Amino acid sequence: MSRGSAPPRTSSRRLRRSVLALLAMTGMVVIAACGGSSSSSPKPGASKSSNSLTVWVDAARLPVAQAYVKAHPKVHVNIVTFDGDGNGATTMQTKIQLWNRTGGGWPDVVFSEQVNDPVWMAQKPFEFAAPLKGLIPDDLLSKWPAPSTAQCTINGMQYCVQDNLAQVVLWVNKKLMDEFGYAVPKTWQEWAALGQKVAAEHPGYIVGNIGDSFGHWIYLWGNQCPLEQSQGSKLLINSTDEHCTRVAGLLDPMIKNGTVPPLSVFTPDFAQKYGGAKDKVLLMPGPSWYAQALFDQTLHIPAGEITAAPPLQWENETPITTGQVGGGPWIIAKRSGNLTGAADFVIWATTVFSPTGKDARPGYPAYAPLADKWLADLAGNSYFAADPTPALKAAAGQVWSGWTLVTYPDQPVWSNTVVTQLVAGKSLSSLMQPFGDALAQAAQASGYTVARQ
Amino acid sequence: MSPVRAQATRTRSLRAARGLPFVLPYLPFLVVFGILPMIYALYLAFTTDTGDWAGLGNFTRTISDYRFLPAFEHILLYTGVWLGSLIVIVVGLALLLHGRANRVSATFRFLFYIPGALAGASAVLVWLFMLDPSVSPGSFLLHLLGSQLFVESIAPGKLPFVFAMIAFWTGAGGWIVVMYGALNTIPHELEEAARIDGAGPMTVALRLKLPLIRKWIAYMTILAFATGTQLFVEPQLVNQASLGLVPDTWSSNQLAYQMAFRYGDFNAAAAISVDLIAIGLIAAWLIVKRTGLFRTGD
Repeated sequence: MSRGSAPPRTSSRRLRRSVLALLAMTGMVVIAACGGSSSSSPKPGASKSSNSLTVWVDAARLPVAQAYVKAHPKVHVNIVTFDGDGNGATTMQTKIQLWNRTGGGWPDVVFSEQVNDPVWMAQKPFEFAAPLKGLIPDDLLSKWPAPSTAQCTINGMQYCVQDNLAQVVLWVNKKLMDEFGYAVPKTWQEWAALGQKVAAEHPGYIVGNIGDSFGHWIYLWGNQCPLEQSQGSKLLINSTDEHCTRVAGLLDPMIKNGTVPPLSVFTPDFAQKYGGAKDKVLLMPGPSWYAQALFDQTLHIPAGEITAAPPLQWENETPITTGQVGGGPWIIAKRSGNLTGAADFVIWATTVFSPTGKDARPGYPAYAPLADKWLADLAGNSYFAADPTPALKAAAGQVWSGWTLVTYPDQPVWSNTVVTQLVAGKSLSSLMQPFGDALAQAAQASGYTVARQ
Repeated sequence: MSPVRAQATRTRSLRAARGLPFVLPYLPFLVVFGILPMIYALYLAFTTDTGDWAGLGNFTRTISDYRFLPAFEHILLYTGVWLGSLIVIVVGLALLLHGRANRVSATFRFLFYIPGALAGASAVLVWLFMLDPSVSPGSFLLHLLGSQLFVESIAPGKLPFVFAMIAFWTGAGGWIVVMYGALNTIPHELEEAARIDGAGPMTVALRLKLPLIRKWIAYMTILAFATGTQLFVEPQLVNQASLGLVPDTWSSNQLAYQMAFRYGDFNAAAAISVDLIAIGLIAAWLIVKRTGLFRTGD
């Protein structure tokens, strides 16, 4: 064969040598790069100059950041939008691990949709959040309601301020209720009875939904179900407690008769079946930010129909407690190179930013003086059929404090152990035990000692 | 060294020398993004977070994690479905195309290839719409399969099949082109000889062409197995799009990701990655052994 005779062996040897040299070089570059990052001590975050800030926000908080830029033309603000850790996503954890590992890149301020995010942000291995003492004046901090401050306090130190309160109330379609001649229920029992009535008299209409990743915060948190309760060094997860099973038993017939469908309010399916022109939402237990963000902007329910009623009560039990969905916090990064600037941003975003009308903040401001302003604006908002503010205001102080915020997200556990099975036709009562088991596993994997009874 | 063997060694080294320029541009990438990370993963998998020797500690710890077995079960079922359909349908379609007139087969090859031009993540986004009965152009099919809602389309039992379908849709076209190329290497005389001996198109396809492209099929199987067990993008995006209905630890690669970033346990993550490398290597070794992929001169 002529092929075998041609090129001299030296060329192949030279080639091999050059390949080896190349390999050695790339290897050295990589080793040098690795060595560089591991040996250097953590450097300050993205903003080295006192005039620049990097802020991470979700889409709903983008207007705040943009308004800050407008109001502070001299500050250079780099705004980054992300999913806000919605639905228990772990975006921030990924990013923080990478920043910590590479020793740089931290933003100065972060907004999270998860009220429990500061809990892990303040602790190892993340150690991302800065204590607010000394950054935000005490007299300002004292104007957040006590339960809100408590949610931001980890091991005795305050690490965040809540942007908004997300207390659950009963949203009411006043126009439809009047049309059908129904009275607004005051207790869960009246609500369930009305559900049975609606199923018989007006099939297709709904009095709630249970398909969201936060369904347990609406129905179980408010009814004092001990799914995450700190008890000394242990975490109590008792999903078969009477407070849990009695709600499940109440909901099951309603899930079955279609008045509380296992569908998320944010799916196209939901909007198509119950929203807009169909207008089939009669009642809906849900958080304060549903006000316009959901009914007006997502479901496009016409103006002049929706209002809020106080949270539902269990029979005649007092005090009335309710759940919470969100209440996202602002967090300042410990490694920020511009702590003063970061604090200024957070103060402005939570205590100053307050546009009115259609640009109004989506949620009930956590900072009390701003809440009054927001409520006054909402009371005069022509979208609502009646003033929703008394109910919202009353519910603000009723969020059950027996629900401890934990380091792991519980939303995915609810979604994939309960919601998927509800869709498949199982009863909520039969899912309470597996839900508790799955929560316990998630808690143990995050290092909690779990008590089940 | 005998003269014959010396000659053989020389021929081999010459061949290698000619191949090198073709491999060279890829080598730095292989080293930086393939080999070095693998070595780093091996180092992490056998050490603790302080750098001490951990033995098999990281492996036993991850195996006893409550999400480990379900994740591997999902992956095995998915890979099984995907590999099965890939081998049967890709080879079948390539054989069918190869029997057609040139223009027809060129058109079809192009059609099959188009979806593969979409990057992984965007292909998943397309499928998120395809699987939602309220917006899907194929909603009647979804209704036939019992899905009235998106949540029903992605019910846990259907997921391995859904992901296999997405992977097949994006990946099969490229392989059909490769298999077609492989079929083209079969000398025309062989086919003609078979025809003269009375072989019909079926016999030619199954008895002549199929055995001759065996090595290409083996090659495809090895690569497809490796990418199959490393499934990540599809379940991760469906997890986000379904608002958490699909667990974020559905696949073993996702579990490794969660270990690293949710718990900051990079050693556990590395251990799971090493499990995946080991499974891939064992599968590749078995396939190479069984099919004689690297056997030369036959």
